[in-house]
Order: sequence, then structure tokens, then C-alpha cells
Amino acid sequence: MKVLEFEVRSGGSIRIELEKCESCETKACVKMCNTQGMGQILELKDGVPALKYSLEEVKRGACTEDLGCELECELHGNKALVITLPLPELDEYLEGLSEQPTYLREA
Amino acid sequence: MARLPEYQGKALFNRKGIPVPEGRFVQSADEAMNVVHELGFPVAIKAQVLSGRRGEAGGVLFAEDRDSLSQAVAELLGKRIQGSPVEGLLLEERAEVQRELYMAVTADPSTRQPIAIFSPKGGVDIEETAETEPAAIFTTPIDILRGFYYYDAMDLLRQGGDLESRQMLTLANLFTRLYQVYREYDCKLAEINPLALVVQGAMALDARVDIDDDALARQTTLDIDFAEEAGERAATLLEIAAATIDEKDHRGTVHFVQTDPDASYAKTTGKIPVGLDAVGAGTGLTIMDELVPLGYYPIDFCDSSGNPVGSKFYRITKVIMAQPHIEGYLFVSCVSSQQLDNAARGIIKAFKELYPRSGGRPNIPCVVVFRGGWDDVAVELFREHGISDGRWIKVLGRDTTEKETAEIFGALYREWKKETGGL
Repeated sequence: MKVLEFEVRSGGSIRIELEKCESCETKACVKMCNTQGMGQILELKDGVPALKYSLEEVKRGACTEDLGCELECELHGNKALVITLPLPELDEYLEGLSEQPTYLREA
Repeated sequence: MARLPEYQGKALFNRKGIPVPEGRFVQSADEAMNVVHELGFPVAIKAQVLSGRRGEAGGVLFAEDRDSLSQAVAELLGKRIQGSPVEGLLLEERAEVQRELYMAVTADPSTRQPIAIFSPKGGVDIEETAETEPAAIFTTPIDILRGFYYYDAMDLLRQGGDLESRQMLTLANLFTRLYQVYREYDCKLAEINPLALVVQGAMALDARVDIDDDALARQTTLDIDFAEEAGERAATLLEIAAATIDEKDHRGTVHFVQTDPDASYAKTTGKIPVGLDAVGAGTGLTIMDELVPLGYYPIDFCDSSGNPVGSKFYRITKVIMAQPHIEGYLFVSCVSSQQLDNAARGIIKAFKELYPRSGGRPNIPCVVVFRGGWDDVAVELFREHGISDGRWIKVLGRDTTEKETAEIFGALYREWKKETGGL
């Protein structure tokens, strides 16, 4: 599977399944990144998203983590892009809770 | 601010040559029994909590023998003082005190420089002395470039009146060392209260050391969990988690503090606990002022600043929503220059992950208010992603006041409670 994956400044990563992008008609992620997005790190290369910057530059902050690419891809693209932003300390906190957060409860 | 427990504060004093009673930190009765072999009786047993007025709350006991020590340790460990559980004790030799004084170095915001404070009235809160006997407090500003010397301390102590010359020499020496603690460890406050005059000279019977949390990155030897302002208690696990958000990323900040971590205050006062995220601390305070009279109590205070990236909003939203006691959530921005579409994307991504089955539509009453830069885009994003259509969420724009926000939240909460019975 062709994948573009890169790390971001805050400690997380963006993964794009490029095979899904081949059939994407909107290329919404690239459009978003270069219009409303501040980073402007994505471009189209051979019909699929590619990085304008090196992996190191992206990780140092070229990607501004506005999250627009993922949300646009989900709405208008082929759901090919996933942003993972871990917060291990929050996971530890949740594991130790004796009471569930309300989002896990049924109304 | 990161407040050190007394035993850690005293360790810093010790490093700088400020005498403290011989003592050890213990966390069990067995440890206490071992330690007392070295210290001997009588001993003081002091609960290691960060809250003030510990003595009045029964957090300091004394033991003359093994039985009374065992009893005291059992009584203190697990006790709650001002809401904080006692997880450790400081066992100390009991000092023979001749007289109690007060000594501190802190930052004076009005002059923007350190200030040395001395009072012959030790052992009581300095705030209390300031009210009841303001003439018994003596201060001198410190020129941070010049430093604080022995003779500066002598001048200050001399104002205090009735000290013997030998005592003044001892105290002046100690004062300059306290200033070294203040400077070297980036303190906001280094306080000894009481400072005891004893046969051998003088001794710090207590230690209150508040470190500036903006300086923690360079205070690596202190082993402090990085946390935002937590007041007179240790940082909670959730606060520590929230503080890591800014740790690796300089692009904007999110400050998160739990104002009522277990929602006990809200519950005992009959208020509904809610989660709050504000853009602008002033807006956070204003919305709290509007919510509280209506019966809703924000159990956290969260403020973002410096145009944080969307990922910070995503993470902080998950932190706020992780509080198990909240029965509602509000995001309220001031009319800010922040790019609010970033905030919106962060909240939307978090909501979609927290509520996957409903496509991000929350199951508790939520009000989000966007006022400022890109507010129209932010509102539109919630509509576009179908979250605005949720039954229990209202997405509002720049024409909404804080008062209206609170009232709209109140109406939504009442409707939710009536229909669902709550969670």
C-alpha cells in the first residue's frame, strides 16, 4: 500500500493512504492546506498529495496542525487521511478513573 | 506556580546552609518506626500537603514514644486536609523553640522586583499579621542586579526592634541564604514561617517554596511535575496531562486548572458541574460570573492564548471532556484575534472521536461561542460537519454576550435534564 506518513511538531503523525487519493476527485486536503491552512505543506505530485518540505522541516513546525486536511478529506475526499495526536498522560488518567467520563455513558 | 512540599523546600534550604530540624520523609508506619531510631523522641509528625493552615486542620502531631508515633502516623496518612489526601509525612526532631519569627523573599508585582520581608511575629499567617498588626511587618526592596547583602539584611532586621546583636548576625546570614534560594531556584516565594530562635541559633521550622512554573524547564534538579497554577494543592493527574500539551509545542498556549477536581464543591453547594474552555482569561472569568448565579459551576478553568494550533484545541477538549463529573461543556471566545477556525477544527475532531456513533454530536448540553477572527468560518464548520444539528449543542456567533451564553446554556441544560434525566 502506498502511504505518505509524516510526524508533526506536537508529537503525532499524519498518514495518507495514497491509493485512495488516486481516485479522489476533489483533492480536498491539498486545496485546504494551500488556502485556509497556514502551513501550505502539501502539493499534488503524480495526482496524489506529496510534501513540499522535508520530513524534518515538517516535524519542526512547517505543518501548522490546523487539522483542516483531515476534516476536508473526511467530508469531501476519500477518507484517506488520518491525524493521530496522542496524549499518553491523558490515557493514563482515563485508565485510573473509577467513574466513566460522560461521553462514554448512554443518556 | 509549583509549590514544593515542606520536606522538599527544606532540602533546598539545607543545600544553601539554612538550618532545619533533622528529619525524614516517610510514607508508612514501618518507615516511621525505622526513622525514629535515628531521630529519637520526641518527634513532630507533619502531613505533607500543600495547603496552608495545616496545623489548624490537625495536620501536625507530636509523639513522645512508639505508641503515640504509631497512632499519629495512622491518623495522618490517608487523612484529607483542605481536600488534599495526605500521602506522605515529615518526621522531624522536635525543636526547643525560644521565639518564632517570620522571614521571606518574594516578588513584588507593584515594583516588579524582589522584596525581603521580616516580622518578629512568626508562626501565624503573614496575611493575618498584615491585617491585625501591620506595623509588625518590615520590608525592603531588592535590586536584582545588585543583590541582597548581609548589611541589607541587618538594616531590615534592625527595624524589627528587640533582637539581640548575636541573633541579628545569625538572622542576617540566614536572610542572605534565603535570597540565594529565591534566586537560584527561580522562586516566586521563599518563606520561613516560623523561623525559630533556638539555643544553637536559628532554624527553619517550616518551608514554603513556590517555583515560577515558567522556569521549571531549567530547574531540572527539582523533579517537579510540570503543571499550571494549582493553588494550595498538588497538581492533579489531569492537570499534569494538560500541561504536557504545551511542553513540546511553542505555538500558542492552553492553560488548564481544575477548580473543583472531584466536583465536591459544586455538589455541596447544589450547583451543576460543567467543563469550560475560554479564549481569553477575562472571558473565562466573565462567563463563570454569569454561570454561577444560574446554578452552574465550571469545575475547570481553561484559557488559550497566542493563537494555538488546532491540535492543541483537540487535545485540551479531550482533557476537559475527560472530567467524569461534568454535566455540560462550554467553549467561549472573547472577540479575539485568534484564528477561531483552528479552535473549531480541534473541537470538531475531538467531538467526532468522543462521540463516534452520533458523528460528533454530544450527549451532554454544550454551547460553543465563536467571536473574533474567522468566527464565521468556525460556525460554518460545525454546520458543515453536522454537529450543529445535534440536539444538545448550540453553536453561536459574535452577536452573543456572555450573559446570553449562560442563559442559553441554562435553557439547554434544563431541557436535557427533563428529557434524559441526566447521565
